[in-house]
Amino acid sequence: MASRKEGSGAAGGGFGSAKGKGKAAAAGDSAVKQVQIDGLVVLKIIKHYQEEGQGNEVVQGVLLGLVVDDRLEITNCFPFPQHTEDDADFDEVQYQMEMMRSLRHVNIDHLHVGWYQSTYYGSFVTRALLDSQFSYQHAIEESVVLIYDPIKTAQGSLSLKAYRLTPKLMEVCKEKDFSPEALKKANIAYENMFEEVPIVIKNSYLINVMLWELEKKSAVADRHELLSLASSNHLGKSLQLLMDRVDEMSQDIVKYNTYLRNVSKQQQQKHQQRRQQENIQRQSRGEPPLPEEDINKLFKPPQPPPRMESLLIAGQINTYCQNIKEFNAQNLGKLFMAQALQDYNN
Amino acid sequence: MSRFFTTGSDSESESSASGDETAPKAAGGPYSKPLLLSEDEEDTKRVVRSARDKRYEELTNLIRSIRNAMKIRDVSRCLEEFELLGRAWAKAKGVVDREGVPRFYLRILADLEDYLNELWEDKEGKKKMNKNNAKALSSLRQKLRKYNRDYEGQIAAYRQNPEQSDEDEEKSRRDSEGSGSSSGAEDDAGNFLKRRERDEPRSRYKESESEPESESDEDWGDSASESDSESDEDDGKFTSLASKFLKKDEERRGAERRREEKAKKKLERKSRREEEEEEEEGGEWEKVKGGVPLIKEKPKMFAKGTEITVGLVMKKLNEILQARGKKGTDRAAQIELLQHLVAVAHEHQLGVPLELKIKFNIVASLYDYNPNLAAYMKAELWQRCLGCIEELLELLFAHPEIFVGENVLEESENLSNPEQPFRVRGCVLTLVERMDEEFTKIMQNTDPHSQEYVEHLKDEARVCGIIGRLQRYLQAKGSPEELCRVYLLRVLHTYYKFDYAAARRRQVRPRPQVSPGPQVSPGPQVSPGPQVSPDPQEKEKEDEEKEKQEEEEEEEDSEALMERLCRFVYAKDRTDRIRTCAILCHIYHHALHSRWYRARDLMLMSHLQDNIQHADPPVQILYNRTMVQLGICAFRQGLIKDAHNALLDIQSSGRAKELLGQGLLLRSLQERNAEQEKVEKRRQVPFHMHVNLELLECVYLVAAMLLEIPYMAAHEFDARRRMISKQFHHQLRVGERQPLLGPPESMREHVVAASKAMKTGDWRRCHRFVVNEKMNGKVWDLFPEADQVRAMLVRKIQEESLRTYLFTYSSVYDSISMETLAAMFELDLPTVHGIISKMIINEELMASLDQPTATVMMHRTEPTATQNLALQLAEKLGNLVENNERVLDQRQGAYGGYFRDQKDGGYRKGDGYLRRGGFRQERGNY
Repeated sequence: MASRKEGSGAAGGGFGSAKGKGKAAAAGDSAVKQVQIDGLVVLKIIKHYQEEGQGNEVVQGVLLGLVVDDRLEITNCFPFPQHTEDDADFDEVQYQMEMMRSLRHVNIDHLHVGWYQSTYYGSFVTRALLDSQFSYQHAIEESVVLIYDPIKTAQGSLSLKAYRLTPKLMEVCKEKDFSPEALKKANIAYENMFEEVPIVIKNSYLINVMLWELEKKSAVADRHELLSLASSNHLGKSLQLLMDRVDEMSQDIVKYNTYLRNVSKQQQQKHQQRRQQENIQRQSRGEPPLPEEDINKLFKPPQPPPRMESLLIAGQINTYCQNIKEFNAQNLGKLFMAQALQDYNN
Repeated sequence: MSRFFTTGSDSESESSASGDETAPKAAGGPYSKPLLLSEDEEDTKRVVRSARDKRYEELTNLIRSIRNAMKIRDVSRCLEEFELLGRAWAKAKGVVDREGVPRFYLRILADLEDYLNELWEDKEGKKKMNKNNAKALSSLRQKLRKYNRDYEGQIAAYRQNPEQSDEDEEKSRRDSEGSGSSSGAEDDAGNFLKRRERDEPRSRYKESESEPESESDEDWGDSASESDSESDEDDGKFTSLASKFLKKDEERRGAERRREEKAKKKLERKSRREEEEEEEEGGEWEKVKGGVPLIKEKPKMFAKGTEITVGLVMKKLNEILQARGKKGTDRAAQIELLQHLVAVAHEHQLGVPLELKIKFNIVASLYDYNPNLAAYMKAELWQRCLGCIEELLELLFAHPEIFVGENVLEESENLSNPEQPFRVRGCVLTLVERMDEEFTKIMQNTDPHSQEYVEHLKDEARVCGIIGRLQRYLQAKGSPEELCRVYLLRVLHTYYKFDYAAARRRQVRPRPQVSPGPQVSPGPQVSPGPQVSPDPQEKEKEDEEKEKQEEEEEEEDSEALMERLCRFVYAKDRTDRIRTCAILCHIYHHALHSRWYRARDLMLMSHLQDNIQHADPPVQILYNRTMVQLGICAFRQGLIKDAHNALLDIQSSGRAKELLGQGLLLRSLQERNAEQEKVEKRRQVPFHMHVNLELLECVYLVAAMLLEIPYMAAHEFDARRRMISKQFHHQLRVGERQPLLGPPESMREHVVAASKAMKTGDWRRCHRFVVNEKMNGKVWDLFPEADQVRAMLVRKIQEESLRTYLFTYSSVYDSISMETLAAMFELDLPTVHGIISKMIINEELMASLDQPTATVMMHRTEPTATQNLALQLAEKLGNLVENNERVLDQRQGAYGGYFRDQKDGGYRKGDGYLRRGGFRQERGNY
């Protein structure tokens, strides 16, 4: 319920009522503690998706701004062109550089502070996102990724979240070692892969005044999508996606299982052989023992499957679950409201 | 060979045309009989030509063409000819060993070498040369070098004698026949020129026209006059003076022999030749016909006044036949000769058996006419062939006392002795079978959309007639095996034709109310309209009619005929193949005439489905055709499921065209080589027997739609749902991918649109999409009983739409009146009742019937969509947990194995499984 209030507050109260969203989870040890977004940027992102994104295609763009103390101010952004097959030789880096140079000419902040991406039912926890956010954060320490969920926004509450990789994950990614042991050592779990940075939307006072003005004039009927009771479609889609991920997770586990079995099989063999050797030694005392490394060399240990995938899937499942929970909570509230209304009318 | 042959025949016809202008007699082509006779008379005397002569001639011919090729700088051609030369030379080895290497041969070797070297040095020219030539040049050069090594000494010797060779060169160029003219002296050259002329009295002289322009008319004049005294056996004598003298005797002898005929012929020939030369000067260079003259020169024709006896004719016949199959035999001429022989035999009344014998051979050589198996007969030959076979059969019918069989030995033949029964070797059946193959080949190679095809198709009646007559003949005399074969032929010509006469009879009798289609016009003659219809079966109409008339004579329609023939084959056949074919044809025929149960039973009883993959491709194609027909038949009967099953195999592969032998797929074109392609082409079914592919696909898709749409509606939320028809789903997806959905155009689009309508239970729209003018024209009108099929379709659509509607919308209703449903789907109440009852019994619909009010009460047991999803999710999560548990087991198992002894670890594993069992139970409860 709480999150719903926040969401509706952000949309209903206009951008002027800048409120932090989400919990400041593990932001303590991070370079950025707060993201302050200009209203312009929000509108531009929304517009970008509206015009170019459709269905489950995502749109991406670059965020520009500057860092003030532990606050990241995002003051402008520009979109990436949509990828198609026929412009495979399109040079993104050059495009970015040129874009930024041009923007500098018109006196816009040209400091690269991150990127944004739209999402389809909250499915953004992917390898691609991880990789690019890692390279961003590797190059520019303060950079964030803004995730914009158009579907939730269409339901009446603006959904915009800023994420950063946790320092732990950065470490792991730097090592490029995703074996089970390494992840275990780094103590990484799906909960602490990403940290969410609280967002504040900032507008100039004049704009705020105008928004208040507008709100007074607009009728309630204009925002009826907030009260829509149709839920099964959204829920169904979310469940479908969740199921797909669960399937993937299952497969991943099966893979891991096979790996474990192979390992144990080999260890057993090794064990037997070692014992045999010991027997031989016991029989013919005094002889130097054979070096045991031979066995390790003879039997290559099976390649451990990378665990990053399953971590990501777990993260994604977590996101879906959060989404569904949030959505259901809102819907339940609406249903109760509708019931109460009906009772009242009767 | 064929190349030479064709050019040769070209020139012949040309020259014969030119000859006609001057004197009708002068037509020198092989087709003019009178001239043939007179000249042949002369030629018969010159049958004796020494082997040396022949070989040298062959060589010189080749040399000449090499020179020609050299002149036009066609190196690849040179290479070809050179290889031929090498082969010819090897053949002539025996002669050469005796006589020594002829000069002309050395000369060509030397010249060729020079020529190649010159080309080789000429870098400029080489660059300009096309790729083929350049390649040929290098390989020829290498070959020649290797080759010449053997003759090094002789070539060197030859080179030291340049004047001589110069002269030779000139001569040889002039010399059309390119005879071994390595003579040292001018007069010798003239000499051989003459000789040549005589040598090729009729067919050959034409070659001389290919001489270079340098040739002058006077030359011919001289040489012709001189020629008399010369003999033709002196080809190679010029190699040495000594041998020349030796030969003189022979020459003289030869000259004497010939002198008488010479005078008159020479005149005629000379004038003709001059003329033609003028016309053809600078004409083609290659009219070489190596070794051909043999046949043409000694055609049978007997000397005037000889008494023509059976023995003589037989001898002649054998002579002609001996040339058969040899390289360089002019097959056209051979046929001509044989026909002439028949005429002679007939004229002199040498008896029917002899005529029979010769006719057998004529047909055989007609078949031989095409050396290539893939090539097909020309129309003219085909007509002759048909005519011949008909004559043959007539003779056989007229003289039933003659015993004809392929097992009659050559020696035991009796052609003339009237006391004993006549025995003639030969098998009509084989000839007719071959004829049938040729017919198929002709049909395969004719453009099916041309008038020509229709023309050819008219011959089908004749073919059928011949087969019918043969059948009658063999019924009287043949063995069961032969009968089986001829029956199969008959069956193969009958099974794919729709028996309109029988259908009409049947229709007139029991149900006159059915509106007659175009094919049911009451008159005996069917209006020409339906013949043009795209259905191949309908094209058959005309032939069908004739066939029918013939059959009506026999007082049986094709069903009874098929039944009779096939039964005989089933009983008597000992080769599996004929029986298999007969069964398949029988089934096809049944299916074509909508006798579904008989067709199906026969198919099931034959167990062909189990072992058809061991059959050869043509039989497999027949099997596929039969299955398809069976499917279509089932569809017409409204047995949708059977139809779908029968068509599934053919349609699901997407290669229906290939599987039915109705065309090659473009896709696999790259994968096969030319040889395979030829083989596959030969397997193609002629167009008039094709099964309409669009009809086939439409029937399949509609059947799939009627099955799949209700199934999809019933199992909308079932995770384990399977597709009934992949192809249908594919079409649906293609339809969905369309960015803009216009009104349907193609048959597939219609079916897809209909499926979408059916999904929502809108049977009227579905019906409109499946049955409309476009679809009628494309598909439904092709059925013989189109209206019945359409009526069946409407009903099926109504029923299946009702089912789909109930599946899809049952959750919306608490109860629904059956009357409403009946009105919605325009079905009568009992039908609706029946369908719903069936659904309830099959537990497809959770409902009960309320009899007094005639309503369906829905039991709300079906979970909603979200509930369904949640259930699925729960199941998946269960799996996930199970898998996770397994990982944990591993851990424990592994540790167990590591730290404790085996037994303990095993126990622990067992423990793990137990726990999981417990979990399962828990889930079950939940």
